[in-house]
Parts: sequence; C-alpha cells; structure tokens
Amino acid sequence: MLKTRKNEIFAALVLIAPFVALYGWMFIYPTIQMVHLSLMNAPLIGEGTWAGLKNYQRLFNDRIFRVAVWNTAYFVILTVVPGTAVALAIALMVSRLNGWFQSIILAMFFLPYVLPVSVVYILWDWLFNVQFGVLQNVIQPIVGHPVNVRRTIPWFMPTMAIITIWWTNGFSILLFLAGLRNISREIYEAAELDGASRVQVFFRITWPLIWPVTVLCLTIQLILQLKIFDQVYLFSRGGRTQATMVLVQYIFEQAFQKNNGGYAATIAVALFIIVVAFSVLQFQAARIRRAT
Amino acid sequence: MRGILGKTLATAALLAFTVGAQAKETVVWWDFLGGGDGVRMKKLIEDFNNDHKDSIEIQGTTLEWGVPFYSKVQTSAAVGEGPDIMTYHSSRIPLGVSQNVLVEITPDDMKTIGLGEASFAKAPWEAVHVDGKQYAVPFDQHPIVLYYNKDKLAAAGLLGDDGLPKGLNGVDNFAAALKKLQDGGTKYGLSTVTADGSFAYRTFYSLLCQQGGTAGSDGNWLPGDNLQKMVNAVQVEADWVKNGATPKNTDYPSTVALFTNGDAAMMINGVWEVPTMVDLQKQGKLFNWGAVELPVFFDHPCTYSDSHTFAIPNNVGKAQTPEKHAAVLEVIKWMEDHALFWATAGHIPANKAVTDSAEYKALQPQATYAPLTANMIYDPTSKFAGVASPLFDAAGNSLTPAINGEIDVTTAVTEFRDTLTDLQ
Repeated sequence: MLKTRKNEIFAALVLIAPFVALYGWMFIYPTIQMVHLSLMNAPLIGEGTWAGLKNYQRLFNDRIFRVAVWNTAYFVILTVVPGTAVALAIALMVSRLNGWFQSIILAMFFLPYVLPVSVVYILWDWLFNVQFGVLQNVIQPIVGHPVNVRRTIPWFMPTMAIITIWWTNGFSILLFLAGLRNISREIYEAAELDGASRVQVFFRITWPLIWPVTVLCLTIQLILQLKIFDQVYLFSRGGRTQATMVLVQYIFEQAFQKNNGGYAATIAVALFIIVVAFSVLQFQAARIRRAT
Repeated sequence: MRGILGKTLATAALLAFTVGAQAKETVVWWDFLGGGDGVRMKKLIEDFNNDHKDSIEIQGTTLEWGVPFYSKVQTSAAVGEGPDIMTYHSSRIPLGVSQNVLVEITPDDMKTIGLGEASFAKAPWEAVHVDGKQYAVPFDQHPIVLYYNKDKLAAAGLLGDDGLPKGLNGVDNFAAALKKLQDGGTKYGLSTVTADGSFAYRTFYSLLCQQGGTAGSDGNWLPGDNLQKMVNAVQVEADWVKNGATPKNTDYPSTVALFTNGDAAMMINGVWEVPTMVDLQKQGKLFNWGAVELPVFFDHPCTYSDSHTFAIPNNVGKAQTPEKHAAVLEVIKWMEDHALFWATAGHIPANKAVTDSAEYKALQPQATYAPLTANMIYDPTSKFAGVASPLFDAAGNSLTPAINGEIDVTTAVTEFRDTLTDLQ
C-alpha cells in the first residue's frame, strides 16, 4: 500500500516535472532576473553596476512615470467596463438571431479581432485623417473644425478607447454568447408563464446566470488593457508622446530608445505589481458581488 | 535558432557533397527601405545577384524604419544573430558605436572597395567617423528639398524663364509668395508635416544653420544665442500655420497628398518623395513639377541632410570569415558603382564619380538640387541625435504644439533644450 502511494507520488512528479521546469525556466527565472536588473544601473544589453534602490527613488520622482500611470488608468476606465457592457449588449442582440444570419452577423463583429494592430492603425488613421478622413464629417459639425485626434491631447485616449473596443470586442462577444447559450430555455419558458417582463427576465435570470462570464470578461480585459501599448505607440509616434505616454510604452522607450535597461526593468516591476494588485482586487470584488 | 538550423544544414550539405564545388557565399542583408526607394533597392539586389550567379548571393530583408530597425540590430548583434551587412543612417552612427553595434571599416577595407576620402562630399564622410575611426561607407545623401507646382507658380508670377522658382528668398518674401499663391485660388501655399515635430525638426535645423546657428553638443545644447535662433526658425513655420498658408496638424501622407492633388502649391519634404512624383507623372496624373534646394530664409543657404550608409554589425561571438568579409566588401563596392540607379529614388549618391557623370547630370530634377550638397548640415555628433533618436523625440514633444499655435514658441524651444540637457 505504502509502496503504491510512493509510486504514485513519483509518477506525479515525473509528469509535472517538464511543466515545472519549463515554467521555472521561461517565467520564474526571467521574473527574478527582471527584479535583479531593476536594482542595477545597466544598459539594455551588457553588464551593469549595482545601483541598489536608486532606480526606485528615481521612479517616485519621475513626472513622466506619473503621467504614464494616470494615462494607463484612464484608458482602463474608458475600456474595461464600457467594452464589456457593449459586448454584452451585442451578444444579447446576436443571440436573438438564428441560423445562417446569426453566423454572418457574429462573424462581422468578430472580424476586427483577427486583424493585426498595424492594420487597425492604418484603417483608423485614414478614417480620422484631419484632411481627408470620413470621420471628420462627423467631428466637424459638432466641434466646428476638423480635429487631429492623434495630436489633440483631450481627444487622444477616448479615441484609443473607441478603437480598442471596436478591435477587441469580438472575443468578449463570443464568451457572452457561449454563456447565454448555456442558460436553459426552460427557465425562460417558466418566467414567460409567470408573466415576467423582458426587463425582469434580464435582471432576474440572464444577468445573474451570466455573471461568471462577465467576471471572466472583466478580468481578461483588465489585464489586457493595463498592458496597453501598440495602439498608443503607433498613434502617438512623432507627436507629444510624453503627454500620452502609457506604462508599457515607457518601458519600451527607456529600454530600446534610451538604452536604460535597469530603469526600464524598474518600471516593469511597478507595472507587474499594479497588474497583480488590480487582478486580485477585481477578482475579490467580483466574488463578493456574487456571494450577496 | 535559424543559425543553428543553418549550420546543421550546411554541415549536412558539406558531408553529402564532399566533392569540392566552390562554395557560394551568401550575404545576409537588412535594410529599412520600405517606400519607393525600397523598390529600387530590391532591383539593385536582384541585379547584383544576377551579376554574381556563381559567387555571391544577397539575401535581403526589409525591416520597419526607425526605432524597430535599430532595436533589432542592437539586440541581434549582441547575440551574434545580426546580418552580414545592413543599411544605417549616418546620424545614428555615434549611438551605434556607443552601443558597440558596429565594426570598424579599416583603411584596408576602403582600399579593397577602391574609395576613400576624396570620393565623397565632406559632410557625409565626416558623419561616418567617430573619434577618427570609420564605421560605415556612405551610400547617399538625402536632404530635404522644396517641391513646387510649376503651373501654379507660373500663374502667380513666381517662375523664372529657366523653369525655376524666383522671389522666394527671405522669410517675408516667402510669406508674400505664399499669399500670392493662395490669392490665385490655391488652397494652401505650402504643405509640410505639421503634426510631427520630429519630422519638422529637419526644417528647423536647416533654418537654424541658415542663421549661422548650431545645435550644440551633449550637455550644452543650443548654447548662447542659438536658443533665440532656433526660436526664429520655429517661428517661421508657426507663422505659416497661423496665417493659414500651411495646413494645421497635418501628417506625412496627407502632406504628400495635398501637394500631388494640387491643393498645395509647394511642399517641403525629403528627396525620397521624388519617385512618388515621377511615377505619378508617368501615369499622367501629375502637373509639371520640380524640386530645388530650400530657399535662403535667413543669411546663407543651408539644408539638413542625412546619409544612408553600409555598415557591418558587430556580431558578438561570430566574427566574419575572411571569405564572407570579402563578399561583403564586394557588395558595397558594386552598390557604390551602381549608385546611378539609386539616384532615381531621389537620393544624391555619395560617390562623386557617379554624381559627376553625364548620365547623372541629365537626370531631372535630381541634377537641379544636387548642388545643395555644398551647403549641407548633418546632425550633431551625439549618441542622442539622429533619426528616431531621443532628440527627434524631444522635438516631437516640444515643437509639435508650437508649430500649431498651442503653446508659445519660446516656451517650446526652451523646453526642447531642457529635455536635451537632461539626457544622460
């Protein structure tokens, strides 16, 4: 008996060893290296000298770091909850359709998600172009003059948010649709017999039953949007990058453009802590909501 | 990984064919030429490969211009996975040397290529040197120029009998000319990139030099009255925008579109837009046009320029074999000899033998603006300067809002200088 148990433990260790080794090598080790690098005064490549907590001191007095934290937070506020709400609304509408038509409409909503960011950038850049963009026909009557959304600071983040929601929404819609299909038709039939209104059906049946999917969507979106980089980098190039800086972009700039490997690692550690803290917080908040 | 695979395959091939057919040397080539000039470079590479069917083959890859290209070069060279040869902006060489990315080009190498100091203009030759050592071979010079619509200028009385613009020298004259063009029914007098201060920096730097000013050097940027001279330079463009002569907040593609569709009578842009004009005209979609050296806005002619050069990356732990090195030098030599075709991309070949040839002198508008090479200024020798550098970044951040009237020009230029001073 004891022997089999030992055997089992041994077998388990053998089975998980490749994963643990790979995980340790590809994830844990680089993370430790990153923290180590953040304590060094080092270029991007090559040896550095020990700097202790100097990089962290610099981080706390860095104006651009604060701008980057604020912009990232602002972007998260503009995208995570609104994006999930839009996805839910679209999923509810799509779920009312049937057969072929539903597939086509769903494909249309999912299509942007497949596009690489460079294509998304070029597409929207032309739509918003200050001289020739078709969207200026919408902006001009409202504001009174054409607006270069890439260079007008108050317009920048909201525009990025709209583009990002358009681009990444397909995945959330798909998750919601799967969640909606899991709700048994019988529950709806029962509600109908009891004379529940459509608003009641949504808030008493649909919403509570797809809450776990909503939590999942919010968490995925939160982690994804905290790491915002590509769109902001592409749209701000050559302009006022400091005013529209986000955290990952700042890491990129320090590491690759200014050759400050150590300081870039420090910002990365800060981002790491922020992502972990927010993910845990959000998950806990979502659980509390579910428990009540 | 690719390297290991390549080595394995090469070893296998060697074992399989022990009979010694002379090995063909492959030269891995990276460039960042994605526009009209990229098409021409691909043709040059194709021609080279045809000329060297039995001896050398260039395997070319085009990467994204700017920071992506230079980051990739830096990281790949550090692990010995860089190319055998690459294009490099001369303005980036001080930074490249400080990062230990470049291999020195020795006097022996230059002897093999058959070129030397006398073969090049002074500015590009100096720009490939750091502390007396040469790190690249200049291939071209690509300044900014003034493109103009001959029909519109003629209608406004601004075209001489020789087909060249007249009456554009001096800030006030130029502004008056812009007004005349607009009074004649043209939407904008001049289009130039106003949404990107780092692009516009090329114009400002030219105008700074036209006043005898200098950008300074590390830790001592825009010293003394150079700050005021830079303010004067930026003010010129800010005034064009304020007066509606130049469109506000306009990005690169729109700038070109506004000129080519006739909405703007003139354009300040790099010579690399020449292929766009040539190709459009071939299709019968363009008016009569020309390109000339920037007018003298201040005291004397001066224009910003940079060079595309050929450089050899310092592949750590994987130095070039003598055979490979010889092949790389042959590539450089061949390209320098065939630079006339490169001139059709608008760039001015660095090799004087090419620009002195009768064929080059028959090339229009290239031959018209070529004399400006006597009045060129290159970026200051600093690891913070050059295309897509921290200096360009600072220009984008501080000067973009100044061009478009969002902040005061003096404040913007002071902020620009302070940002540069803080770099370390």
